[in-house]
Amino acid sequence: MEASVAVTGLIPWSLIWMFPYLGALILALLYLAGVKNEKIYGWGSVLSIAVSAIIATMAAQKFYAEGPIYSLSTTTWVPWLNITLGTYLDGLGVIMSLVVSWLSLLIAIYSVKYMEGDWGVQRYFFFFTFFVASMLLLVTADNLVLMFIGWEGTGLASYALIGHWYTDEEEYWVGVPGRKALGQPMYFEPSHSGVRAILFTRIGDIGLLIGMAVLFLLTGTFNIPELAASASSWMGYLATKGILVPVLVTFSLGALAKSAQFPFHEWLVTAMTGPTPVSALIHAATMVKAGVYFMLRFVPIFFAGAYALLGANPAAVEAAKEYFLLMAGLGAVTAFMMATMALVSNELKLILAYSTASQLGYMFLGAAAAGLLLDKGYEGLALGISAGLSHLVSHAVFKAALFLIAGWLIHVAHSRFIDPMGKYAKYMKITAIAIWLAGLSLMGIPPLSGFFSKELVLKTAEEAGFGWGYTLGVVTAALTAAYTFRMVLRVFHLEPYEKHEGHEPHEAPGLMLWPYTILAVTSLILGLYWTGTGGAIAKAIGETLSVEESIQLSLHITTGVLTVLSLVFASIIIVWALYVPLKVDFRRLIAEAGWARILHDFLYDRWYINSIYYIVIVGGFSALAYLLGVVDFGIDMLYHYAIPVLFILGASALRALHRGKTNYYMMLYVYFAALILLFVYLAWG
Amino acid sequence: MEAGFPIWWLSVILPVLVGFIALTQRENAKLNAWLSAITLLLSGVATFAYLLAGSIKEGVVDPYKIDLSSHGIGEFRMMVDGLSAPVVIGISIVTGLVALYSIKYMTTRIAEMRHEGESPPGIGSYFFLYDLFAASMLGMALATNLIEFFIFLELSLVSSFLLIAYYGYGDRRKISLLYFIWTHVAGALFLVGVLYYGINAGSFDVVKISQAGIAYAAPAYTVLATGAKIAAALVIIGLFIKMAVFGVHMWLPYAHAEAPTPISALLSPNLIGIAGYALARFAIPLFPDVFVEARDFLVILGLVTIIYGGLVALRQTDFKRLLAYSSVSQMGYLLLGIATLTSYGIGGAMLHYLSHAFGKAVLFMTAGVFITELHGLRDITKMGGLARAYPLTAAAALLGFMHLVGMPPALGMWSEVLITIGVVKTYATSSYGLFILLVAALIVAFGISAAYAFITMRRIFYGQFKEYVKNMGVKPGIEVLDGFKAIVLLIAIIGVFYFVAISPVMDSLKPASEMIAALLR
Repeated sequence: MEASVAVTGLIPWSLIWMFPYLGALILALLYLAGVKNEKIYGWGSVLSIAVSAIIATMAAQKFYAEGPIYSLSTTTWVPWLNITLGTYLDGLGVIMSLVVSWLSLLIAIYSVKYMEGDWGVQRYFFFFTFFVASMLLLVTADNLVLMFIGWEGTGLASYALIGHWYTDEEEYWVGVPGRKALGQPMYFEPSHSGVRAILFTRIGDIGLLIGMAVLFLLTGTFNIPELAASASSWMGYLATKGILVPVLVTFSLGALAKSAQFPFHEWLVTAMTGPTPVSALIHAATMVKAGVYFMLRFVPIFFAGAYALLGANPAAVEAAKEYFLLMAGLGAVTAFMMATMALVSNELKLILAYSTASQLGYMFLGAAAAGLLLDKGYEGLALGISAGLSHLVSHAVFKAALFLIAGWLIHVAHSRFIDPMGKYAKYMKITAIAIWLAGLSLMGIPPLSGFFSKELVLKTAEEAGFGWGYTLGVVTAALTAAYTFRMVLRVFHLEPYEKHEGHEPHEAPGLMLWPYTILAVTSLILGLYWTGTGGAIAKAIGETLSVEESIQLSLHITTGVLTVLSLVFASIIIVWALYVPLKVDFRRLIAEAGWARILHDFLYDRWYINSIYYIVIVGGFSALAYLLGVVDFGIDMLYHYAIPVLFILGASALRALHRGKTNYYMMLYVYFAALILLFVYLAWG
Repeated sequence: MEAGFPIWWLSVILPVLVGFIALTQRENAKLNAWLSAITLLLSGVATFAYLLAGSIKEGVVDPYKIDLSSHGIGEFRMMVDGLSAPVVIGISIVTGLVALYSIKYMTTRIAEMRHEGESPPGIGSYFFLYDLFAASMLGMALATNLIEFFIFLELSLVSSFLLIAYYGYGDRRKISLLYFIWTHVAGALFLVGVLYYGINAGSFDVVKISQAGIAYAAPAYTVLATGAKIAAALVIIGLFIKMAVFGVHMWLPYAHAEAPTPISALLSPNLIGIAGYALARFAIPLFPDVFVEARDFLVILGLVTIIYGGLVALRQTDFKRLLAYSSVSQMGYLLLGIATLTSYGIGGAMLHYLSHAFGKAVLFMTAGVFITELHGLRDITKMGGLARAYPLTAAAALLGFMHLVGMPPALGMWSEVLITIGVVKTYATSSYGLFILLVAALIVAFGISAAYAFITMRRIFYGQFKEYVKNMGVKPGIEVLDGFKAIVLLIAIIGVFYFVAISPVMDSLKPASEMIAALLR
């Protein structure tokens, strides 16, 4: 496998990530130089990303013609830690860089219009470009430290862009102002959301760092291909020490947090305070996929290690399976949990955010369940990894489209809630077609790409024998169809709940309209030509590190597929029936019926998980901080009050001996002389 | 290798000479600042040049020495090797650039004090003391002999004490005295322990310099004898007080919060960190077996210091006091790294000295920007939304915090990586329970650092202007990047530069840390 990798110099392939970094640097220097013209920032950003997209496309061409590319610096960057500067473009790297660069390009173009006239537009494009560079570094890095740098860079950009409108005006909040659950506020200002995002992900990143340290100490390298090659030896060692499972889980904490998997999902929901293109790019299409990328990258490595140890080290195999099961389980739980929340939300971007976390759960399920297919060998692995990657690609496309459409709708309605939205199909035909295409893809309706990729994930879970995970996945598919259908129906076809004042809605300007229309149509094309899409993905996975099998990603119509499809259609019909012929007034129902309110509030307040975190974790540490404040005061008093007071008392006691009277001193003299004589006598005696 | 001319002695003596010139140029802040900056930056530039040339690896020794061997003291020499290179660079860059920052800050401060009816010594005296203080810190980092180190230590105490007493805030006379007593107790404890070693060895040289390169003197006594243990305890406690480790940290929040801000920017990262450097440079070679015995205790103490300092910082409302507690927490990182007794941990601690130097200097200078431009504003509860009026200062502060938290592209990432590897190497693969415990401890410790960093960013820079700030006429807009603020941004950017150009620093750090770690077998 190593032999087929073409090793080249650092340039030109590393320009994929270097060029946007250069772009960001230039934007920063322009800002320092006092250049204010926002056009320069917007188009500068677009230009630097376009170069990346072109290089990524050329890399893909080269990859499909000649196989993986390893573009490496001639000198080692940090010799102590054996860190090279290298860009590793195998199948996974190529597909990820294609998706990231082209989506970023479209969304950057959309942003030029969307951010027009914003007071922070220069900062916006700086962090946007910095993000693209970091994300591309993340997916093409040849070693863990370089990947970690990209990883943290995306986190920084995400933090800065979530809090882009850090002046915290109410229109930029997430949640209903004033709403509380279990006494905890359920509305979040941009600056608050930024802190949440960076702290949640930071916790995971520390786990990632610890895992990296363990691997480095065992193998002496951070290089991913080398780690893959020695997987069986270090996994075997950790298994004999009995710590393989915790090491792998710790290593994956970063991925769980980045991809907003339970129990780290909370930050993604409130990340919706950022400008909508940011939500589309970072919090739907790319950065949150970093965790999935991590799984797609490392599950095969763990798999290869465990596969080599089959029979030789049963403890290691068991531990690996335990790990895969845990990850797949977290994915399934997240998929289900977030889909239920999306059912009741009335904030457009929140619905999409819940949906994103839910779909990321699918990807985790697929990627991790691949590992469970140990008995089927590399063919099973390739199926699951391809399923995860397919869903990543198709989700990136249709969810980016949905978010970009949402950005326009929120602008039109002057509200982030869907209550004042309705009947938009009448005013914007193209947008209506686009949202239907993207929405149907999300619902998993054939022949859109979302159908194929979701079915592949479910097929993996089924074949892996992961029963309850599969069931949750199927239920989630039905829920997904329900919430997506409800959203499109209400916004585009039904009368709005609240009458909208002001201008009549109209179609978006071209710079915004075209990016999302292109994406929506792409999602259709990818599905129509699934043989081509699936073939390309399957070939890419076949050429990926540690996976040595090529497979066909064709989908056979089985009873399983039919069951899922009929459930999906059933749930669409139920939603339609409730809203159209039955005209159920959900708002009155929630207000009047106790059970409905309890259920609604439970889902609307995100299963109360957010409140529990605030009460237990934030409350706990605040209490500890308070306690330590008291301790600190105590230490202060001890050193700066008690000890000085002791000395003062001692001094005044000693001073009392000195009264300045001669006969008093004489008396003391006699006493002490007698005492000394007594001691002398005793000593001699 | 031996340097061609007495570069290290000059880089200590020239700032002192410039200090004497300052005494004659009483009111010329600019001249004094620039002379100080140029002479103080000398050692940093030279060290970086030697790093690039690859000669720091074997140690660059000054040709000049004061030979006191006949008095049983040893030789006063000056040297930079991989272990001290980050420290020397940190001191040189921060003291050099803060000298320029002092122009506006101290002119404002002295005018303000005079306005309040006080009569502080003029700007010339300030720069005299400043240069003396900075040069003595450089001396500590360059010293190879314990008595030499101690002399510079005392010099730094006297000069910094006077700076706080003359130009400080709040109850500055009392606080400077408090600082003086604490650090003198520390110095005295250190000295007693050092005397035990020197009298046994007949010399106070720790780093032996010969043609073959540098080596550490072997302890001249039975290392685990009671006397040696007591001496070790005295040296370590002395350094812990200087470092402000949990339990003996109480002087720091007062001194660092109430010192004039440029001096806080020197005291906080530079001076206290030197105690951490001295642990690795002097205390480990003197008492290696004591460190091996106390390893677990020291690791726990390091973690407790990180968590304690971070959580107490979170509750502060005074910006400078918050930064002071953050320094306590950061010293926990240094201690944690050193206490792992691995080359990674020790190297990481030295590198963290540099990261913290950049990060904390930037943050104190940020605090100084508001003190100067917003009439002494230090109360965080009155801040908020300041990024709208000070976007560049906010950017610098964010980079400063990233250095502390260890997020790329700040240098702090490298020290965090190294320290983590060190901790993992010491414990991780030993057992299931210990691994889980370790993961939990590191997540809590590093997580709390991130928490206070980003929560503080929010409290100061995000949201809407508070009444207090509005009443001062602060308006949104792009701030003017004058020299004062450019320096703040410059230090933050230098930190990013070192993140990229880390290789020469690490290349030299590796053999030096391995040499220390090898003493611990």
